[in-house]
Amino acid sequence: MKTFLFIFIVISSGAAAGIIHGSANLVFVEPSLDQAIGIENQHLFASGEEKDTPEFRAQYDDYRIWQKSGQVFAGGILGISMGSLFGIVFVLSRNSLPGKTDIKKALVLAGVMWLTIYFIPFLKYPANPPTVGDPETVVLRGILYLTFIALSGFGAVGFYKLSQKLKTKKFIAFIGYAAFIGIIFVVMPGNPDKINTPMDLVDHFRTMSAFTVSLYWLSLGIIFGSLWNYYKPHREIPPSFN
Amino acid sequence: MSQSRQINVSKNGVPVIAIVALAILFAAGLFVVGFDQGHIFSLVYGEDAFQDMYIHELTHDMRHAAGFPCH
Ligand SMILES: [Zn+2]
Repeated sequence: MKTFLFIFIVISSGAAAGIIHGSANLVFVEPSLDQAIGIENQHLFASGEEKDTPEFRAQYDDYRIWQKSGQVFAGGILGISMGSLFGIVFVLSRNSLPGKTDIKKALVLAGVMWLTIYFIPFLKYPANPPTVGDPETVVLRGILYLTFIALSGFGAVGFYKLSQKLKTKKFIAFIGYAAFIGIIFVVMPGNPDKINTPMDLVDHFRTMSAFTVSLYWLSLGIIFGSLWNYYKPHREIPPSFN
Repeated sequence: MSQSRQINVSKNGVPVIAIVALAILFAAGLFVVGFDQGHIFSLVYGEDAFQDMYIHELTHDMRHAAGFPCH
């Protein structure tokens, strides 16, 4: 195992996929964010907290430019973060992942992780544009979301281990995971916040958000798998070099 | 020698140090983008950072876009 090569592959593929994610957000998600924050401003004007002056507009524009400039940067950080988790799971499960090439193995794992730690949690706690979330409940919402993701992720690992023991009846593990996450899905409390923002804006935002996160996982699988295929860090260094 | 190799390398030949380093990267990155409310800057600049929330503003749009709870 070439350790530095392995870490290099993880970080560079995570960063690359994250930058793709952040850049796609600028195109697909930012228009919804602008609309939602525009509604927020209307509320501020209506309540008299702010006045719709050129000064406010200038300050607001600066603030939004700063926030938008963070998309790609934050995409890189989040990309490396999720890529690191992906790298850990890949290196520990590579021998048993289906697929003849490492690109296929990486894509299979990216698909499984997309489903278990992103998409199923997204169905329970969908993304929301600004103005929907109540700042008072943000800690509770964070705990709920993380708990759901952790349960789904560890559940998937647990039932995967079970499937390795079952050998001929592997599908039982799939059914087991489905039942497990189904129960969690029903039992866990929903997002406590009421949505007062127009639903078509919220739905459009959610669709775009899910699209770009999915693009991240797809990019990660392809880039990570290609780099792994090329550099083959799992190959042992000949003993004479050790 | 052989004993230290056994301690540092897990059974599939993956160095434990690599797993630990990646786990730290995972947790730190997730916290900064998904959950930080100015805590990291407050370590350096004190309580004022909670008001300014620099990182929060810079990672704010991604936080919404990636589905993390926000405002
Ligand atoms: Zn927000």
